[in-house]
Amino acid sequence: MAMFDQQKTVTLTGTVREFQWTNPHCYIQLSVKNAAGVTTEWSLEMGAPMYLFAEGWRPSTLKAGTQISVSINPLKDGKPGGVVLTATTPDGKQLGKKKAA
Amino acid sequence: MRRVAALMAAGLLVAMAGPVVAQTKSPAARADVFRKLPNWSGYWLTENDETSIGGLSQRAIEAKATGQSGPRAVMSLYGFGAPWNDEGKRRQAEKAKAGGRKAEGWGYPIMMNGAAPIQFMITPEEVLIINAYRDVRHVYTDGRKHPDPDDIWPTVWGDSIGHWEGDTLVIDTIQVKNPNYYFHGAPPLSEEAHYVERIRLVAPGKIENDVTIIDPVTLTGPWKAKVTYQPAKGFDRMISIEYDNDRTGSDEAGQNTIEPATGRK
Repeated sequence: MAMFDQQKTVTLTGTVREFQWTNPHCYIQLSVKNAAGVTTEWSLEMGAPMYLFAEGWRPSTLKAGTQISVSINPLKDGKPGGVVLTATTPDGKQLGKKKAA
Repeated sequence: MRRVAALMAAGLLVAMAGPVVAQTKSPAARADVFRKLPNWSGYWLTENDETSIGGLSQRAIEAKATGQSGPRAVMSLYGFGAPWNDEGKRRQAEKAKAGGRKAEGWGYPIMMNGAAPIQFMITPEEVLIINAYRDVRHVYTDGRKHPDPDDIWPTVWGDSIGHWEGDTLVIDTIQVKNPNYYFHGAPPLSEEAHYVERIRLVAPGKIENDVTIIDPVTLTGPWKAKVTYQPAKGFDRMISIEYDNDRTGSDEAGQNTIEPATGRK
């Protein structure tokens, strides 16, 4: 967690290339096009699958080609990556469906 | 000559019998023992360590926002409150420098104080403690002792025996391989450390674990810590997945970063 700049929040909207439902972290590989039309792939770290599961996420929650928006704390080293704080559909709908245990 | 042969045969039988364990009970007697044991079924999580999709609990996020340590806020076995001696302080400093290195799992003792749910499977013969990373502790409650010194070796889960004092499970654990090499958040104790836990349900939905650790190599005296567990919400089963995609690496400047994605099957 020390590798992320927790003083800075960045919002990204892009297309999911891959959702890695893996331990010790899940990752979203998100293709993001900037104002100049250049596409960059971001590596977005999440918690372990068990934490996402408890919040109603499943491997099928994000499919390749899905458009999403995320807010992240970016990597301190300036590389295209960060830790996910929130993830929604582009119109702001929360991803994952919370289920009671 | 015949007597010597008989003694040798008896010795062979003893050697083949393996470790001494409690006498086999009849099904009815076993059921009677089972009936008296507590029921801690379900999934349990360290109190206040319910974790967001980003991987931190709300309490850890709040602590970080005020410049405090996130683990200090929720993990009493991380090592902050321990009476470290000079060797322990040296190891803690080394651990702090290597904070972001790759892990293999959690192991003991940090699996008892992590954000990964744990499960207690209580039987008359042993208690199994299992977490979501499939770290498993076998706590034998059948009256056996720890294996002899030449029949035991250190592992990241250690060797545990236990007994019941009323509704309290008392666990004695030795031979824990320095857990810090396995999981970077673990306390950097030595393999001479001796752990005693007293675990009991103190109220519905609340289990307490009083942990005492003695380690002549890294501590000046007994380290006493308390961990409280609450039901893990959102779990209808244990969520287990292989531990094979730790992408925390280092950049050219030696700073932790996310390694590029590699093609996955």
